[in-house]
Amino acid sequence: MSDVIEPRAGARAGAASWGDRLLRVAHAGGLLLVIVLITGGASLFVPNFLSPFNQFTLTRNLGVDIIIGFGMMVVLGLGHMNLALGAIGACAAMVVGFCLQTLGLPIPLAIAGAILAGALLGALNGVLVVRTGLDSFIITLATASLYFGLMFILTRAEAFRDLPADFSALGKGRVGPYSSFLVIAGVVAAGLVVIFNFSELGRQILATGANRTAASLSGIPVNRVIIVTHALSGAIAAIAGVMVTARLASALPSIGEEWLLPSFLAPLLGGTLLAGGFVSVIGAALGAILLSVLQNTLVLLNVSGFWIQFFLGLALLAAVGIDRWRVVQTQKRGTPGR
Amino acid sequence: MSALLAVNGVSKSYPGVRALDRVNLSLEAGEIHALVGENGAGKSSLIKILTGVIAPDEGEIVLGGAPMRFARPRESLAAGIAVVHQERNLIPRYSVAENMFLDRLPTRSGVVQHRQMQDDARRWLDVLELAVDPATPVRYLSVAQMQLVEIGRALSLQSKVLLLDEPTASITEHEVERLIGILRRLRDQGTAILFVSHKLEEVISLCDRITVLRDGQNTADARPLVGMSKDDIVTLMVGREAAVTELGERTATPGQCRLELSGVATAAGHEGIDLKVHAGEVVGLYGLVGAGRTELAKALLGAYPVTAGSVRVDGKPARIRNPLEALRRWRLGYVSEDRKGEGLILAHSVTRNTAITVWHRLRRAGGLIWGAIEKAYIRPLIERLDVRTPSLDQAVGNLSGGNQQKVSVAKWLAADTRILIIDEPTVGVDVRTKGYLHRLVWKLADEGTAVVLITSELAEMIQLADRIYVMNRYRVVGDIANSRDYDAMSGALMQIIQADNDRRVPPATAPENRGGKHV
Amino acid sequence: MTSSPLLARLLRIEWLPLLAMAVAAIIVLALISSSFFSTYNLFVMLRILSVTSLVALSQMVTIAIGQMNLAVGAIGGLVAILFGAMLELYGVPIPLAVLAAVGVGLACGAINGWLIAWTRINGFIITLAMLSVFTGLNYGITKSIPFYNMPQALKSAYDSYLGPVPMILFIPVLAALGVGFILNFTRAGRHMLAMGGNPAAAELAGISISRTTIFTHVLSGGLAGLAGVVAVARLGTAEPTIGADWLLASFAAPVIGGAALAGGYVSVIGTMIAVVLVILLENGLLLARTNPFYVQFFLGALILLAVMFNQWRARRVAMRVTTRRVVSP
Repeated sequence: MSDVIEPRAGARAGAASWGDRLLRVAHAGGLLLVIVLITGGASLFVPNFLSPFNQFTLTRNLGVDIIIGFGMMVVLGLGHMNLALGAIGACAAMVVGFCLQTLGLPIPLAIAGAILAGALLGALNGVLVVRTGLDSFIITLATASLYFGLMFILTRAEAFRDLPADFSALGKGRVGPYSSFLVIAGVVAAGLVVIFNFSELGRQILATGANRTAASLSGIPVNRVIIVTHALSGAIAAIAGVMVTARLASALPSIGEEWLLPSFLAPLLGGTLLAGGFVSVIGAALGAILLSVLQNTLVLLNVSGFWIQFFLGLALLAAVGIDRWRVVQTQKRGTPGR
Repeated sequence: MSALLAVNGVSKSYPGVRALDRVNLSLEAGEIHALVGENGAGKSSLIKILTGVIAPDEGEIVLGGAPMRFARPRESLAAGIAVVHQERNLIPRYSVAENMFLDRLPTRSGVVQHRQMQDDARRWLDVLELAVDPATPVRYLSVAQMQLVEIGRALSLQSKVLLLDEPTASITEHEVERLIGILRRLRDQGTAILFVSHKLEEVISLCDRITVLRDGQNTADARPLVGMSKDDIVTLMVGREAAVTELGERTATPGQCRLELSGVATAAGHEGIDLKVHAGEVVGLYGLVGAGRTELAKALLGAYPVTAGSVRVDGKPARIRNPLEALRRWRLGYVSEDRKGEGLILAHSVTRNTAITVWHRLRRAGGLIWGAIEKAYIRPLIERLDVRTPSLDQAVGNLSGGNQQKVSVAKWLAADTRILIIDEPTVGVDVRTKGYLHRLVWKLADEGTAVVLITSELAEMIQLADRIYVMNRYRVVGDIANSRDYDAMSGALMQIIQADNDRRVPPATAPENRGGKHV
Repeated sequence: MTSSPLLARLLRIEWLPLLAMAVAAIIVLALISSSFFSTYNLFVMLRILSVTSLVALSQMVTIAIGQMNLAVGAIGGLVAILFGAMLELYGVPIPLAVLAAVGVGLACGAINGWLIAWTRINGFIITLAMLSVFTGLNYGITKSIPFYNMPQALKSAYDSYLGPVPMILFIPVLAALGVGFILNFTRAGRHMLAMGGNPAAAELAGISISRTTIFTHVLSGGLAGLAGVVAVARLGTAEPTIGADWLLASFAAPVIGGAALAGGYVSVIGTMIAVVLVILLENGLLLARTNPFYVQFFLGALILLAVMFNQWRARRVAMRVTTRRVVSP
């Protein structure tokens, strides 16, 4: 028992204080500023940036990226990870393909089935984490392999390509010059804002993420919260899987293979803590926007696709580096004697 | 006389707390210097500054005439300051020897010489008369043995300055005597020793000079101990005004029996626990560290299954599997002894920390919880408990220890608990808040709550409790009404424990556990 | 105590159940497939072992200090193509190229370690970012085109024998011995496991957390780089995709081998047996002519089962310790 606040606790403790809230607003503001600068620069200097086609593809990819980021963000709120996000997305894609092509179910039912499947797979992650008491990292690493493998076995790695035209039309929907995927992302974002700010579940998730023991002793059913959160993450991954299926007009088993990096990038750029206990829905969306715009601009500038991953890595480093710099600055101000 | 180690005007602040306020300390070669103060007075902060764990905001540290700045522990080690910290700092899977020599593993052409290290360790263990094989992994040792290993490590450094933070907290009387002999010898050889302890008898018999901290400030600065009495030191520690009881009289009016345990055994190791707590009563659970009090509280919350006997709440048999059931169904709450680790979510706001027990009641249409409703619900409580916070949105981590403790009590008041177990309510709390919390405990009982009080502070127990159960080795070994006469009660309580120890344990079989001394 | 003392003692040898499983797998495979013990099949497995063991050890050392290195595969890939480029484009002599390539791996690890030590940001994020950076560099340089013309000498050295023993058997054995030696008998190694076991205590005891972190990542990078070099020798081409699928295996083997993800305990023997077990699993599925996708499924299942078993065993041991304390305090 130390009789002072640990320095680390002190540094972390700011999460909801006014000063820190300001910092967070500044963080979101900073992100927004960078986005505006890049978008402005691209609009002025990059030839095809503002073309309707580019605006459409940009926002269509963006819609998916935002949702992938949300899928990771909800478990980050617990201080957990979900490395099976991509695998669940792929499974959901195959479920929707199977329902539409093989079973011939109506589109809403097929989508509901896919989301349900995603939620179940996510819940299974949660159950395994709770029952074994093991790190979510290793559990979801294993289930990622398990789910991918199972899906490959069941589908024999064959894609569903004969999807109804009405379904693939979902991927072509427009709102003005933008893809209707943005609307879906907006709806999911609104739902998450409600969950994390105006619901019991959101409060329970963050409490469990910040201090599981304290939450449990305060009467929070932490195990149930963990399972529900992982199910939510799975359901969100499934939504992204269905969207990609609609965009590609076919359900491919390779969907989701590239989700790992963006799923972490968006929330982390947006200020969500890896340690749990704090999430920023708007931040994650802004993080995804920054990524998509950056990626799009680089493509238009004829930067080889091969280099884009390099820049994304640097972006992540820069984001966490700036965060670190801010903390160091705060400490310096706090301790003039040093 | 020039000091070997001097701390001049050192201050350290955390958000909401001034842990150290221009503190001085001067340690000379060849003296044993006591550093005392209540929990939260700033002793640990001072030690952490001296050992490079944290940096001071202002002030200087002078070692051997040269100003020092320690950015990390290894720098202070290298400068010749050896420490035994209050918490155990050992690598569980590593051997005793390796833990002692971790920072200076002997190597021959790059190869670590485990055997040589064990021989070296043996010498220091012999000095302490600790009969363990230096090759044993420390995770197989008892707490007392671990503490001795750490003392051995500090001795083996043969430093000019030796800091001991509560070195006798968990070792036996015999080992304490042995240690005191060693420290005296080191003093005569010219080592400067800083001895931090709660045990004032030890301080008086061992130390030459004393520095006292209260609320982060010096109330004594290197004062010679000659002629000082225990009461003098207590007055310096707590202040004259607070040393006197101001709670007044209390007559308990017990109502119905709220909580009844009969013949309860738990997976934690409790056996045959019988106890009754009535509405309107403050029942103390007294015992030494390790007596199983906190574990009993946790067992009531479902952390350890009850394996025999019965638990009844308001006369109904209660099988409590988790804290949620305890709270919702049986209206039983637990204020944890570990405020930062188990009691509070430091990073979250006062509002969320207080409302956490009642979120289910605050749901409105569509299951939504509006922040305004949440705040309106808890605001009266926060005001009633006089929690000093700039706003309800403030992170509790930024509040002072006393205000944090109030918040960790407030969440149970929010939920209208009928049975409240309060574990070490005033650790790390300033004197004023302490008095406030004491009055609060009585007030809650007067309002009909059945209060179970767990505290290691004898004075607090005797002041507050109506009835005291004495626990020892996971059993209830005594049940006495509290006369609130300190001398009579403290004697009676210790006698019960001593009698139980004599009765149950042949000394030869359990050497390491005898010394669960208390403060 | 209900269980027999023998079982208790066997439970304490953490890699024994694994060894039993591996032996059982070998017996089953030998029974169901006549081609299992064929020289060809054994050599196929040995070739996989030569790379995978290095990958697993590379991850294991970071797990030892309670961190992870997601960039193991990315470092391996980058080193592989640079190694290929040195050989094909610049005609660097093979020994020199090997040294230089491993040096690149060490440097990549040093960057990881330094960034983690300096920023004090979670190693997970740093190595995730560096995974992207190294992979980006790799593809940016090669434009995804492999270096095909590796010198014949490389291939023949890889396939050569020392007496009756194939050279490539030495790679996993020497690497395991080396890592085992470092972890048990050098100051740096002891500091690594101490840091993993209790970082606060290690720091208070005067160990430099920064230095230990950097050393660990340098070691991890070096092993990953070496794995990249061996992979080039094995494939006979320097492909940019080398390392892309290492992540799962790199965690699977140490974790199946009993490593605590929180740090402070790893088992070199356990990890090596686990690598063999994973290879046997793949080989068995191959010999049984199952759909190749079963491999991924079973690997996932194997990891889950292994970690659950380890957890169960740890709980049993812990329970025994606490019971002992309560019974005879």
